[in-house]
Amino acid sequence: MPWLLFGIALIPVIAVVGVSFFVEDVFSGVENPFANHGNIFTITASTFLIFTALAGPELLIPDRVEGVLAVYASRPMRVSDYLGARAAALAIAAGGFLVVPQLVLYVGLASLDDDGWFSGLVSNASDLPKILLAAFFYLLAYGAPAFLVAMFAKRLGPAWGVYLAFMWLSSGFAVAITSATTGIWKYSALAALSINPDIVMDWIFGRTTVREGLSGADFGPMWSVGIILGIAVITWIIGLRKYRSLL
Amino acid sequence: MTSPSGRALISTSQLGHAYGDIVALHHLDFTVPNGRIGLVGANGAGKSTLIKVLLGILDPTEGSAQVLGIGVADDPIAVRARVGYMPEETCLPLAQTAADFTVYAAELAGIPTKAARQRASDVLTLVGLHEERFRYLGEFSTGMKQRAMLAQAIVHDPDLVFLDEPTAGLDPEGRTEMLSLIGRLGEFGINVLVSSHVLTDIETTCDWVIMLDGGRVLRSGPLTGITESDTVDVELLRDGGDGHDVIGALQRRGAEVEVRGSVLRVRSADDAFDLIRDALAETGAGEVPNDHRAGRCLRPGVQAARRSPPRPAGRHLRHRP
Repeated sequence: MPWLLFGIALIPVIAVVGVSFFVEDVFSGVENPFANHGNIFTITASTFLIFTALAGPELLIPDRVEGVLAVYASRPMRVSDYLGARAAALAIAAGGFLVVPQLVLYVGLASLDDDGWFSGLVSNASDLPKILLAAFFYLLAYGAPAFLVAMFAKRLGPAWGVYLAFMWLSSGFAVAITSATTGIWKYSALAALSINPDIVMDWIFGRTTVREGLSGADFGPMWSVGIILGIAVITWIIGLRKYRSLL
Repeated sequence: MTSPSGRALISTSQLGHAYGDIVALHHLDFTVPNGRIGLVGANGAGKSTLIKVLLGILDPTEGSAQVLGIGVADDPIAVRARVGYMPEETCLPLAQTAADFTVYAAELAGIPTKAARQRASDVLTLVGLHEERFRYLGEFSTGMKQRAMLAQAIVHDPDLVFLDEPTAGLDPEGRTEMLSLIGRLGEFGINVLVSSHVLTDIETTCDWVIMLDGGRVLRSGPLTGITESDTVDVELLRDGGDGHDVIGALQRRGAEVEVRGSVLRVRSADDAFDLIRDALAETGAGEVPNDHRAGRCLRPGVQAARRSPPRPAGRHLRHRP
């Protein structure tokens, strides 16, 4: 399943680079509106959300249910080591899902550069830190809630369902409430958990894309950054407290 | 009492632990030397809690403990770097092979991958799982799982290994094999603290015993001092009368019986445990409900005695030194 999702994540970027190669003359002298990192992030983020739903619970639940935590408890490691290693495992997978397609796009677009491949790499090098930063926020925004659910779920299936429902429904409700109300209700837009990293990513790449339904909320991207970081910190604290009694 | 280096293997001072209002360990004071240490007591006596406190998994609510000369509360990581632990409950990832998991357990202790593979192979051979090492742990029988758990506990060559009820759930043959394995650990320089509610298991494997009851240490000393004692105290909580039947049965077997309230002090030139078992089996005095404290202590021993009269499978009598 992970490899299938990884393959799915790569399809759009390969398609974009391929199409750009064949229609190169159409966009001669202007920026290709399809072949940009923001678009690819928007597409691959959906796949990454599903992957996180599968991987987050898989990383935590079996250890707890099968009693393997007792083995970790007898080894020279702290609770933070264990949780940090699990988060790192998810981060590596996130690299595969979020960063590798972006690198393929980066190299692919460079190969189409009018001034040559190397020149293309150099001229677009400023995109690399932006890619890493955006991937970091997607990882936090999707991974922390997945871990939070997994810390309390006892079975994988329900954990997947709860996580996906939580992420999708929270965003759906936020969009619905924000669109239909005014005043203090606009703050419900902050509960759009699966949309917040999109807003941050747009900001990082300097895009002006208005997220559907949340335009009325009129929040700056820093609010989304704060929500993402806040949930991640809360998840970390809850994890330390919960696993302190287990490890 | 101490190791050649002058340090006790384990020592505690007024050690206590409580789960909220429930006090599991009361002011434990004991010191044990290197070797094979038995930790015996009924279910709920505090054995597993004591092991978890010594591992640093649980914090003592009072007092202190030292393992291998290291204060557990001061540096639990340093303690864990030198010990192994086989928990009572299964601790195996069912979707991994025995080899993969044992290698992983070694790596968690800081052993490089190549050396971990070699050690895992050696240890799985030692516990009799070499042929099965590439099978998934979920396919293992109870006995094989116990051996795999022992393998992960010793794969990193610890100085001391905690074994929590290692024979639980095993058939007689598996029990014998596990006890034999535990007995061999000393050959590799590994000290052992093994907990059990079956005194016979401790007798078979250990040379020092700590007896726990209700979170208190009843006795800590060389096993020989206990097994050679000709006096056993038994708390007879319910036999349908005032104990006359049991006293009579014991006296007919040549034992001297002294009544101290609900406690019978039994003294015999023969094995007092065997006499008590036979007397309880004869009178049915051990047939008490399972939810009764004495029931947990007496009933299994009596049943075992009826099945195999020459020797009990385990001694579950409440022993007062």
